Amino acid sequence: MGDDFLKKTLVFVLAGGQGERLYPLTKDRSKPAVHFGGIYRIIDFSLSNCLNSDLRRIIVLTQYKSLSLDRHIKTAWNLYRRESGHFIDVVPPQQRFDANWYLGTADAIFQNIYIIEHEKPEYIVVLSGDHVYKMDYKKLIEYHINKGADMTIAAIETPVDEAKRFGVLQTNADLQVTGFQEKPGTPAVVPGKDDTSYVSMGIYVFTTSKLVQYLSEDHKMDSSRDFGKDIIPRVYADEKVYAYDYVNNAKSHPYWKDIGTISSYFETHHDLVTISPELNLYDKEWPIRTYMEQWPPAKMVFNQEGRRGLALNSIISNGAIISGSLVEDSVISPGVKVNSYSEIRKSIILHGCRIGRHTRIQNAIIDKYNIISENEEIGYDLEKDRQRFTVTPEGIVVVPKGLLQ
Amino acid sequence: MSKILIVEDEQHQRELYAMELQEEGYEVDQASNGKEAVDMVKDNKYDLVILDIRMPEMDGIEALGKILSRDKKIPIIIYTAYSNYKSNFMTWTADAYITKSSNLDELKEKISELLSTRNQ
Repeated sequence: MGDDFLKKTLVFVLAGGQGERLYPLTKDRSKPAVHFGGIYRIIDFSLSNCLNSDLRRIIVLTQYKSLSLDRHIKTAWNLYRRESGHFIDVVPPQQRFDANWYLGTADAIFQNIYIIEHEKPEYIVVLSGDHVYKMDYKKLIEYHINKGADMTIAAIETPVDEAKRFGVLQTNADLQVTGFQEKPGTPAVVPGKDDTSYVSMGIYVFTTSKLVQYLSEDHKMDSSRDFGKDIIPRVYADEKVYAYDYVNNAKSHPYWKDIGTISSYFETHHDLVTISPELNLYDKEWPIRTYMEQWPPAKMVFNQEGRRGLALNSIISNGAIISGSLVEDSVISPGVKVNSYSEIRKSIILHGCRIGRHTRIQNAIIDKYNIISENEEIGYDLEKDRQRFTVTPEGIVVVPKGLLQ
Repeated sequence: MSKILIVEDEQHQRELYAMELQEEGYEVDQASNGKEAVDMVKDNKYDLVILDIRMPEMDGIEALGKILSRDKKIPIIIYTAYSNYKSNFMTWTADAYITKSSNLDELKEKISELLSTRNQ
């Protein structure tokens, strides 16, 4: 098979996620715009996957607190040229078809049918902009075509107990989808196994005419306009819907996370600073692109007893200065300055924060532009922290963007 | 009595359809282009809309989106001399697409089918 089908594919990235459970990181931004891994934003993963899969026609649908996301895509992702038929367009609700905001994931696409009509793609890929993962969509679309499918759903094999929190696909041995349940009490298992289930990754390939048909029908019905709840159940009943086994088809180390909560955000970062993280950001075969502001290199200074600039098991971004202080098991974003005699342990410090002298921080996420004063302690007395900041049930302290000046 | 809006720029055709449908026992209003139709849908409650595509001022495809945005459940039949708009995905959001022919049987059948499912 040639690569012609990639030119006939249009990608919709759903980037309207509010990310309520990531609050206060989503106080001023949508979930896809949440910072990740020092220098990235979550949406960079989906868009890098598109770039690495040679997909060049991309529509990003936004609607909620979209300013920072919009600016990020315009600055980091202005690499396609429209005169060659390539684009990444950010589209807020145009209210051309409906006076509403997008009511659900399916409605987001339906309201943009005019784009589909204009572009006339043969295949449509629908992705979520709020997952951190690596996937070769080329293989996914190829699979869709080879199966003669009307719809293909990317699925990840997950232990049954965990699968209860997700949408679970029931399939036959040929991976044709025969059932779908959201958050089932007893999830259907993978054929031939008894302890794992296929969880939908929220990544779909459609043959365009089928997608338009089902969206148009759904528009006339009482429906929550959600792919999982409303569209999938009707499509698999009448059409050929296949599951795509993500892990079996992954070239390198498979990785997929829906970073839904502060706790999973925190743990994922903790994994990043280990020696061999599950998510490899250094993979030359699958680079993750982002916006890089011009910063000087990271620097660690002072080397005297009791005043040593030291970073261990950590990610240190450009423009950061670790001055006579200790950073351990942490992720430091660009432009952060940590002053002398301080200790940062198991924390995530976002862009432009300044940490005063003699300060101790542990198990914390400090959002952008906070100035932490001298002798401050965060993450040690959770009672005190609860009065000032957000503290999760697991004891992770989150200091919202720009709170401390 | 079910109330139908006919949207058609060609006056003779529009009046002919109106008479035929009145004989079938429907109450019929007429609009001569998409813009007029959208305004009439704002002010009136219709049980069904019959929509031509090629019209001055506002064509049927644009009107279709605007009418559905006011009332997404209103049955709409696209009734046009041209079959090529079938490949336009916007027309898929209507309930039916009928190519004009010399008799009105197909249109009448579709109207009663859509109205009976609507009244269920």
